[in-house]
Amino acid sequence: MKFTLVKDLRKDRVMKPILSGFLVFTLLYLLSDIFVKQSTFGIFPHAIETSLFGNEEEFLDGLSQASFLELWHVEIFFIMMIAFTTSTVYIRLSGASKTALLAVNIMLLTALLSLVTLALAYYLSPHFIYIYVSSFFIWHIVAFFCTLISLKRLHYA
Amino acid sequence: MHKAYKISILIFALFTLLLLLSGYMIFELKIGFEAKNVLSYYMGDAKLFTPAKTNSGILKLSLPHIFAFALLAMVVLHFLIFTKFKYNFFVKVLIYGAFISTFFEIFTPFLIINVSELFIYLKIVSFFLYILLIPIVLSLLFVSITQIKL
Repeated sequence: MKFTLVKDLRKDRVMKPILSGFLVFTLLYLLSDIFVKQSTFGIFPHAIETSLFGNEEEFLDGLSQASFLELWHVEIFFIMMIAFTTSTVYIRLSGASKTALLAVNIMLLTALLSLVTLALAYYLSPHFIYIYVSSFFIWHIVAFFCTLISLKRLHYA
Repeated sequence: MHKAYKISILIFALFTLLLLLSGYMIFELKIGFEAKNVLSYYMGDAKLFTPAKTNSGILKLSLPHIFAFALLAMVVLHFLIFTKFKYNFFVKVLIYGAFISTFFEIFTPFLIINVSELFIYLKIVSFFLYILLIPIVLSLLFVSITQIKL
């Protein structure tokens, strides 16, 4: 990745707008992801449980294994790409400080935890939904702030 | 390589393994690993009432995978530049192997339905080759990052 080689990103007239654009779109993705999940899969435990396992009283079917695996597969790909690129830009712009390292590790590990617990919730026990919801929000919030701070460092630091 | 990037790469490797695992599970559930399963998935099965796949149907499924497979392979393989194995001949084999297996994994379904049913074997081999090569790359990264002497 070229931006890991440029000495000072803030003074680079080519990389600065490229990274700014990427970061703005990352913010939009993170926000949109929450809204889309809310209207389709659910972002709170009860709604997610209904989506995964259905609800007899409301005559709702749960997700088939094939549908779940497809959803999970796509989620893994998108999350790994978003979380990794966001963390790389953030580390680069924050000078790899201890706080940055902590934030990045929290973001990546909670993102990974959200994916693992989603599968565990489907295959093992619905109780894992609570861990999924917590880790989902934590990684989104941390990623959102990492992106905002990166934008701030790129333009105002 | 900076320590911060090393940790990120290690976590990225875990994501990659999870992605491969989910791909493996989808393949097992929807197609199956036996030749007859692959054949009935693509050519249809009257007993199971499953229709044969069409070129447009396969293309629809292939389209996101063309980009995703290549991006994943590129990102994972480019980390090898930062390792001590950079100029190793084996790394070259891994790079070409990963892209060639990706190509056949994606495009053999077209060959199965249009040319010969024998390409089902190439489909299975290329899938397992890809599933095997990426973890090998990841293990080289792991060895390099953690400084384990081989």
